[in-house]
Amino acid sequence: MRQILFLFLLTYGTLCAQDGSINNLDEIVLKGNFSPAINSGYEVQIIADSILKESYESLGNLLQKQANFYFKQNGNGMVSSISLRGTSASQTGVYWNGISINSALNGQTDFNTLQGNSFDELEVRKGGGSVLLGNGSIGGAINLKDKLSFEDRQSAFLLAGGGSYETYFSQLTAIWGSDQFYGKISGGIQSSVNDYDFVGTDLKNENGDYQNYNFSALLGFKINDYHSISLNASVFDNDRNLSRTLSAESFSNLESKDRRFLLDWKYVGDRITSSLKAAFLHEDFTYLFNKNITDNGSYGESDRFIAKYDFSYFLNNKMFFRSGLEYENAGGNGSSISSVTRNDATAYVLMHHEPFDRFMYNASFRLGTSSAYEIPFIYSLDAKYELSNRLSLRGAFSTNYRLPTFNDLYWEPGGNPDLKPENSVSGELGLDFKQNDFYIGGAVYFIKSEDLIQWRPVTQDFWQPQNVSDASNFGLEFSTGYNWTVGTHNFGVSGKYDYSIAQDDSIEKQLIYVPKHRAGGILDYSWEKWRFNYNLQYIGEVFITTSNSQSLDAYSLSDISLYRTLFKQVITLGFKVNNLFNENYQSVAYRPMPGRNYLLQINFKI
Amino acid sequence: MKKSNLLFYVVFLAVFLSSCSDDEADPIVPKGDYENGYFITNEGPFQNGSGTITFVEDGGSVSQNVYKTVNAEDLGNIVNSMHIADDKGYIVVNNSNKVVVVNRFTMEKEDVILGDDIVNPRFFVAGGGKGFISNWGDPLNTEDDFITVISLSTNEVLSTIPVGEGPEKMLLVGERLYVCLQGGYGNNNKVVVINAQDNSIVETLTVGDVPNSILLDRNSDIWVLCQGKPSYTGDETNGSLFKIEAGSNALSSQEFTSVQHPSLLNYEDENLYYNLDGKVYRFGINDAELPTEALTGLNGFYYAMNIDNGELYATDAGDYASEGTMKVFNLVSGDLMQTISTGIIPGQIVFP
Repeated sequence: MRQILFLFLLTYGTLCAQDGSINNLDEIVLKGNFSPAINSGYEVQIIADSILKESYESLGNLLQKQANFYFKQNGNGMVSSISLRGTSASQTGVYWNGISINSALNGQTDFNTLQGNSFDELEVRKGGGSVLLGNGSIGGAINLKDKLSFEDRQSAFLLAGGGSYETYFSQLTAIWGSDQFYGKISGGIQSSVNDYDFVGTDLKNENGDYQNYNFSALLGFKINDYHSISLNASVFDNDRNLSRTLSAESFSNLESKDRRFLLDWKYVGDRITSSLKAAFLHEDFTYLFNKNITDNGSYGESDRFIAKYDFSYFLNNKMFFRSGLEYENAGGNGSSISSVTRNDATAYVLMHHEPFDRFMYNASFRLGTSSAYEIPFIYSLDAKYELSNRLSLRGAFSTNYRLPTFNDLYWEPGGNPDLKPENSVSGELGLDFKQNDFYIGGAVYFIKSEDLIQWRPVTQDFWQPQNVSDASNFGLEFSTGYNWTVGTHNFGVSGKYDYSIAQDDSIEKQLIYVPKHRAGGILDYSWEKWRFNYNLQYIGEVFITTSNSQSLDAYSLSDISLYRTLFKQVITLGFKVNNLFNENYQSVAYRPMPGRNYLLQINFKI
Repeated sequence: MKKSNLLFYVVFLAVFLSSCSDDEADPIVPKGDYENGYFITNEGPFQNGSGTITFVEDGGSVSQNVYKTVNAEDLGNIVNSMHIADDKGYIVVNNSNKVVVVNRFTMEKEDVILGDDIVNPRFFVAGGGKGFISNWGDPLNTEDDFITVISLSTNEVLSTIPVGEGPEKMLLVGERLYVCLQGGYGNNNKVVVINAQDNSIVETLTVGDVPNSILLDRNSDIWVLCQGKPSYTGDETNGSLFKIEAGSNALSSQEFTSVQHPSLLNYEDENLYYNLDGKVYRFGINDAELPTEALTGLNGFYYAMNIDNGELYATDAGDYASEGTMKVFNLVSGDLMQTISTGIIPGQIVFP
């Protein structure tokens, strides 16, 4: 058991940027375009299911802790949007098993409409990635994965618990596998009254209650040694009242639904691998200004069909090629968008080459065409050089784009069908050192963005999105970690620090809601049946006016968790305290976040 | 949704002509720090935050955020307008659903009017011991808009008067309350005339599309500036200027010749002034035709605009996400006399 715990420790927190291995054909087809083998110059962090399934945590909170990403949350449980390397939420690609799921309406993902618990692995790739990943991967990209494995296995998990503010949750997952079949179903529910006190005032987080349901299923069939096929489905329903602010009450409600289906046919040959995917994505929302008056809400929906084919050809053990074709048909409709459709088709080609020992590089490009706008030609170059077994140097340069959304193009009033895609150029240099259970790494990056889409007043009462602003981002990222054992005691520590400057070029001011400093630390300790975890996050000051005249204070959050396994690990009991020091903080101005709160959970595993 | 919020807050222009010009009793005893000067209301950031009040003292010195300075609290979300009546200021806080009553000389909070009868309040006018507040209700519901009547002595709600969609600016002439139905999220074209004594609706006048400003001239005629429906409606209409004749309420109008959307109507010395396509125009109340030449030196797309004593005061909301500015011009020469910094989205300039 000790070994298991130790393994657990090793994968806890972070482990990144595995060596690209040209001999491993499977890896590319399994990991797709997030595979480290074709991202030599980038950092790809894996967040393992041991962390995802450990507790019922919002995906935003989890990524904030594990990857030191910045999230802007409109209050606890409310709309939560990511910012990576100082870019906007629509400049971070979010993928579900390799399929882009950023909303076709607003280009973003609300991280409170995803349940981390229901996935098997998260892949996090920082840096410009539009060539391999497509639209919007400018600051970086996140892939939410369900993993398939053809082996004899039957297991079931139940996680259930509750916490402060009448929060309750449960998630049940069952897995059945053989050497030919794999099946997984998972379903969960969460609800919270969420009426926490606004620390230091007489107010409470009124009208902040929410409930959500998730269901997912994965079926896989191995046809033979070369071919396999899988079907994946995911459903998420979220019904939230939108909480009040410090200065105004709220009676509004937002109900959103996501439906995702994916059919994937994989082939792994001796020299060729391929994957053919067909996906259908549906999203819709209904917004009520007053939740008691249900007949005059505003709504929006989109349906997308995506077909994707990726193909790799291994020329020799020094070189391979990969290319892909992607077609998307998207339709949108709503109270402010009349029925619209667009069709996009793109293609990319990548060459991976290891010209001499310890050195590898990738060169790639993507081009495409669309019925709604011109898709630019983009390219990418990245490389890695292993200075020694422990030390490696990596670098990358790429051009990237973000396409206008349905709201940008067609919102009534204002939508501007003449918008161009946003363009960016980005580059980074990184150095990683690894020795046994110790790693330390750092990177510097820049992103230069042009033609950023911003809603601007044309006249006092008429606003329109235009390709008007330019931005310059640069920053520094640093991470380290160490695991060690003393007798039966296992320790793990890790830390991260990010410095990000993101400026609007026309006024040379830091963009609003981009903290210059962020840091995080995790301390993990386990002994026999016990495990203890301490998590510290620091979010620096953020400006809330474009002139940088007003800001929100920096804050530090400490969370602790204690776990105890029982009955040969069939049961794990967990107790968590979030915001241990009762810090009064706001992620978004005038929307206080909860003070100290508690959570108790039980995890069955058979 | 975000964009519709945006529109919601931007769609309404704030200009207000104070009808009160009471003399102050004794100039020797100061009544408060904010006695001699004028105010600018700043809506504040769109979604989360508080609006503020800027005070400009005679002589030019500027104090920001005076309500918070005095009362150590935020005013609330989206400060839409302020009305001064006698020694009181009535600050209408749209998204916080309240009207804050202050002593207008000291800015000290005296009372807050809120409750079920204040829903999405827009503007305030006072007269005859009563105050009238225009309310949108639920902005997505076209049938729940109303005027709230309060007692100026107790600040209690006396009654509410249902009106059509989007009541905005109001004008009180004797016992008649004229309410522009600008249209809220949509577009309306009415002026409702209400008997301010018994709260009955006397008449509903049909004017041009989207009546955005209303004022009284020296002949007791009422002028209503209608901006016309914007192009995005797919049914764009020309702006128009309506005259409601004193007593008879008879209507006459002039239509802007091309598709133009005028706003920010002002009046001084038998002349009307308005902002159109980034220029300022003057129209004599006895003129037969709308002017074709703009006044020189005054160009700008203004968020609020007032004329006072031969000077033009005009605000610029900038990018709507940081502090705005206000400029003061000499109306005749067009010379820029002063530029001051305001709060976020300066929506109204309020002269006592």
